[in-house]
Amino acid sequence: MSSFLNILTTVVQPDLFASAVRIATPLALAAIGGTICERSGVVNIALEGLMLISAFCGTAVALAAPGLFHVGPITATWIGVCAAVVAGVIASSLHAFASITLRADQVVSGTAINILALGLTGYMIQVLYHRTGTTDAAQILPPLFAFKVHPTGGLGVVWDWFSGVFLGHSPLVYAAVIIAIVAQWALYRTRWGLRLRALGEHPRAADTVGISVIRGRYMAVLMSGALAGLAGANLTLEQVGSFSENMTSGRGFIALAANIFGRWTPVGSYLASLLFGFAESLEIRLQAFSNIIKVPPQFFLMLPYILTVVVLAGFMGRAIGPAAIGKPYEKD
Amino acid sequence: MSATPEEIAVKRQRWMTVARQVATPLISVLLAMITGSLIVLVTGGDPVAAFAALWDGAFGTPYQIGETVMRATPLIFTGLAIAYGFRAGLFNIGAEGQLFMGGLAVAWLGIALAPLPWFLTVPLMLIGGALAGAAWAFIPALLKAKVGAHEVITTMMFSWIARYFVSYMLDGPMKAPGPDGQPGTIPVSQMLPPQSTLVKFNQVFKFIPTNNAHLGFLIAVVLAVVVWLVLRYTTIGYEARAVGFNPFASETGGISVARTTVISLCISGALAGLAGVTEVMGVHHRMSDQFSAGFGFTGIAVALLAKNNPLAVIPAAILFGALSAGAGLMQLNANVPDKLVDIIQALVIFFVAAETVVTWFVKRRMKEVTKHV
Amino acid sequence: MAVLELRDITKVFPGVIANKGVSLSLNSGEIVALLGENGAGKSTLMNVVYGLLTSDGGEILVDDKPVKIRSPRQAIDLGIGMVHQHFMLVEPLTVTENIVLGREPAHLGVIDFTQARKTVVELSERYGLKVDPDTQIIDLPVGMQQRVEILKALYQGARILILDEPTAVLTPQEVVELFSVVRSLVAQGLAVVLITHKLDEVLDVADRVVVMRDGAVVGEVCPKDTDEVSLARMMVGRDVVLRIDKTESHPDGVALSVRELVVKDDRKLEAVKGVDFDVRRGEILGIAGVSGNGQNEIVEAIVGLRRPEAGSIELLGHDITHDSPRKTIAAGVSHVPEDRHRRGLILDFDLAENLILGDHHEMPYSKNGIMRPASIAEVADTRIRDFDVRAPSRNVLAENLSGGNQQKLVLAREIGRNPELLIAVQPTRGLDVGAIEFVHRRILAERDSGKAVLLVSLELEEVLSLADRILVIYEGKMVAEFEGGTVDAETLGVYMTGGSKHREPATSELGATS
Repeated sequence: MSSFLNILTTVVQPDLFASAVRIATPLALAAIGGTICERSGVVNIALEGLMLISAFCGTAVALAAPGLFHVGPITATWIGVCAAVVAGVIASSLHAFASITLRADQVVSGTAINILALGLTGYMIQVLYHRTGTTDAAQILPPLFAFKVHPTGGLGVVWDWFSGVFLGHSPLVYAAVIIAIVAQWALYRTRWGLRLRALGEHPRAADTVGISVIRGRYMAVLMSGALAGLAGANLTLEQVGSFSENMTSGRGFIALAANIFGRWTPVGSYLASLLFGFAESLEIRLQAFSNIIKVPPQFFLMLPYILTVVVLAGFMGRAIGPAAIGKPYEKD
Repeated sequence: MSATPEEIAVKRQRWMTVARQVATPLISVLLAMITGSLIVLVTGGDPVAAFAALWDGAFGTPYQIGETVMRATPLIFTGLAIAYGFRAGLFNIGAEGQLFMGGLAVAWLGIALAPLPWFLTVPLMLIGGALAGAAWAFIPALLKAKVGAHEVITTMMFSWIARYFVSYMLDGPMKAPGPDGQPGTIPVSQMLPPQSTLVKFNQVFKFIPTNNAHLGFLIAVVLAVVVWLVLRYTTIGYEARAVGFNPFASETGGISVARTTVISLCISGALAGLAGVTEVMGVHHRMSDQFSAGFGFTGIAVALLAKNNPLAVIPAAILFGALSAGAGLMQLNANVPDKLVDIIQALVIFFVAAETVVTWFVKRRMKEVTKHV
Repeated sequence: MAVLELRDITKVFPGVIANKGVSLSLNSGEIVALLGENGAGKSTLMNVVYGLLTSDGGEILVDDKPVKIRSPRQAIDLGIGMVHQHFMLVEPLTVTENIVLGREPAHLGVIDFTQARKTVVELSERYGLKVDPDTQIIDLPVGMQQRVEILKALYQGARILILDEPTAVLTPQEVVELFSVVRSLVAQGLAVVLITHKLDEVLDVADRVVVMRDGAVVGEVCPKDTDEVSLARMMVGRDVVLRIDKTESHPDGVALSVRELVVKDDRKLEAVKGVDFDVRRGEILGIAGVSGNGQNEIVEAIVGLRRPEAGSIELLGHDITHDSPRKTIAAGVSHVPEDRHRRGLILDFDLAENLILGDHHEMPYSKNGIMRPASIAEVADTRIRDFDVRAPSRNVLAENLSGGNQQKLVLAREIGRNPELLIAVQPTRGLDVGAIEFVHRRILAERDSGKAVLLVSLELEEVLSLADRILVIYEGKMVAEFEGGTVDAETLGVYMTGGSKHREPATSELGATS
């Protein structure tokens, strides 16, 4: 019993929740991208590949920027972030072209991008860095807030918790929260949002009142590419620093599940991602006790994926997405 | 009995359809190779040298041909798995996980059944591995049938779970005894005794100078024919195709969509499992977590290129097996990273997907014509 | 001055000329009916006017000025509005959101919902089309949804309103209301084109009738100068039997017996609230009702596509209440579904494969799980011949057949199975007159050979002409029963909307039901 309490007090620290938010961020960004894309009626299985390509481009540019543009490491990383977003947009335009203009099967097109991303990033690591597996590390973005003050005593504990959970994060983590809120508001209160929802439910109805289905869907797919780009940028340039092959490890698919769980809303996607983030954060901390809990480490690593399946099993039946999703639009 | 003008017209239409169905995948492959060449060119390589090395590596000597056949074998299985799934309206993207479980199952079975002679162990292991693959697809199948959970996400998740599970097993309960299982080496299972393996061709037919091609290839070819027969001439195949095309009309026609979904995805899982089975039994004779070069994902390209036709899976798999066999030589001789093969794979998928659009256009125009009969 | 004029419009699709040099003019304050059977080219013509299709020849003039209409946006800007047969409404959105979609009042992209709502309320009062601006479309009955569509066109500033088969989904009373709305719109200066194939409506409300056949205009008359028979002759090109002569029915024992049936719909609400009825052998029982009053759920419960909450269904004494579709088919029930593309046929299968669907797992089509191609081919050829399905061979894909031939294929399968009970739901939807005649004859033939037939249809004419007995369903209950030949469409309409002989029909102000 005492060992259980011991584990509890060791694990339940501010860092548990702070880490949950950090882990959730790339998931949330990608999931919100998925929300926007699917709300317009286009399935985006390619979030995984888009994140991967963006992460690579971001790192590569961040590594090259000091030499090319004679800037300091932090600025170089910011340039890398922009490059990641651009890469996401360009890569997603391929999916948009295949799905919207060519009316190919959207799941197949998305899968092709995932495989292409895997192959292309592995290829480019060899070409650019003459080795396989991992690139060098770029400078990661520092936390946004740094406070010199530190109260002591009881207030100190509260401060530790508050600053630990909410204030110690790098910029894109905050960006994710802001994007979630703004996107939610925009979806229900702006012209763009209303038309987007119409596109996903009944594109022909939108077409007959003069809304361009093609343009609306292209924009949605490209936006999801940009958000996946931010997700990839966060993964390398805010968390790890370097890029390694297949570093997304299925996050793109977990993001899809988060979108479904969040009922195709931006805020819902964020909260669902937070849940997945928390589960993984917990799992990482519990691993340290694997000899006490007597569970092999691989089972902890499986948890995020098992959780995804459980979520889908429990919630899919009651979650119905946009009515026209996955069906290419024909002008007839 | 002479044919009426309408019957002749229909026959000619069918020949043209067949011709088009063969020509367009070839064009897709060609376009993929051309795009691949451009990538090589842009990144400073020599495409001609690359493709020459690729060809040599795949078909240059009988040894290389054997390599190609060996690498094509698991791709026939995964290609069949995904093709069958597609015909039933399901995208079994988690074939990789199912083949891992198949490989793990026979790695265990091969040791457990060791006292028995080969004509018992081999069939039992084939069946056991297939069942393991089917079992791994069962939960995603059930979730899809009961709750509508998208099989792309669930089978993908199960794929990751499988890899961690195999890693755990190879590090623990199934760890090879002795010097093989020491820390610092890749975790492997115990070596299989000879009666639990698939013979290589050159062991049976001593005059064939291939080195690595094994019996699994024949099993794969036979299975391709069996799957084709099932789809075409059995009620299971009829119902799978019906649900794949239109689950609503199928339901109205008395077909249980839930049952057909589960059966179809499990059959797909079984076929994928066999890819792992034959790799372990025919090539490595033991299980490791590095034993798959992404066969589950290459299977997607194979199935799409074959247009989900089980018989066409064989040449499509040989093509990708050739690419894989030649890649090593390409890296060595032309200094082009072997990852180019993965890129070409993805490009093939793209061009095949684009080409179906062309077919769709043609079909629509045909529909307008016959609709007013 | 003609507000809209079409000169020599031609539209060609591969293999067929949909519009051959059609000319038409429309003045403000006028209702012109565009009459023709299914496939005559009327919808194509109006889709050209609305910008959904581009013409291959001819010109369009609005207010005497030639215009090019290449998209609905351009049509709307010119004051042309269209209410489609299948509504263009986004179900999860509200009435207001649907009406303002595309022209939302907004500041810097942010929608001003107060203003939007105000405008909608104003419009609805001005034209007498009462709606609740805040309900979701999915909660509205069909008649109300149509009002929203009309309001949408008016919001967009339509001066020319095109209504495509607007009465297909309405009760006789709702049709009366619709026409009174149309007349008041026209009195306020709008011009209306009414696309229809219903002769009585044309004579009732139109100022002028333009008749189309096979893509061309074959005549233009005023209603007072003509009658149903001559209009029908113009529409079809030959004398048409408007009602099939049928012999007396001789019912012979009960085939289907339904008692206290309770069924819930997809939204977990009770759609069928305890119905009792029998279908006897050798009779056609027709169920008349407005779409969405439970008739579909009754059929789905009988064939096994939906589980009843309570009650019993018996076929020839056997309980089939909870039987699956497969068991129900085996028990002797055949079903011609409402939507032949979705539920009736597998369009990617060929004719033979479609013809065995339902008993494909039994002899002679298969044995022990193995299919028997020779037997399948033989039976398929027989059926195709007996049911006059026009196709080059049995290996043609079902999607390449015309609508009429597709429906014949479904009939061939369902009747070919020699069922005890034949259920036909909307069997002639979207078919031309020749195909309609064929289908009606086959259904009567089934009844004459002693089978039981359950006919569910929204076309009152069809129910009245075929059924030996008619039940009216309203809000999940049977509210009236009539012997065939003793009732007319108006009376049926009264009961279909909840009225009775002794009361005025319930108004359709109802809006959302609970």
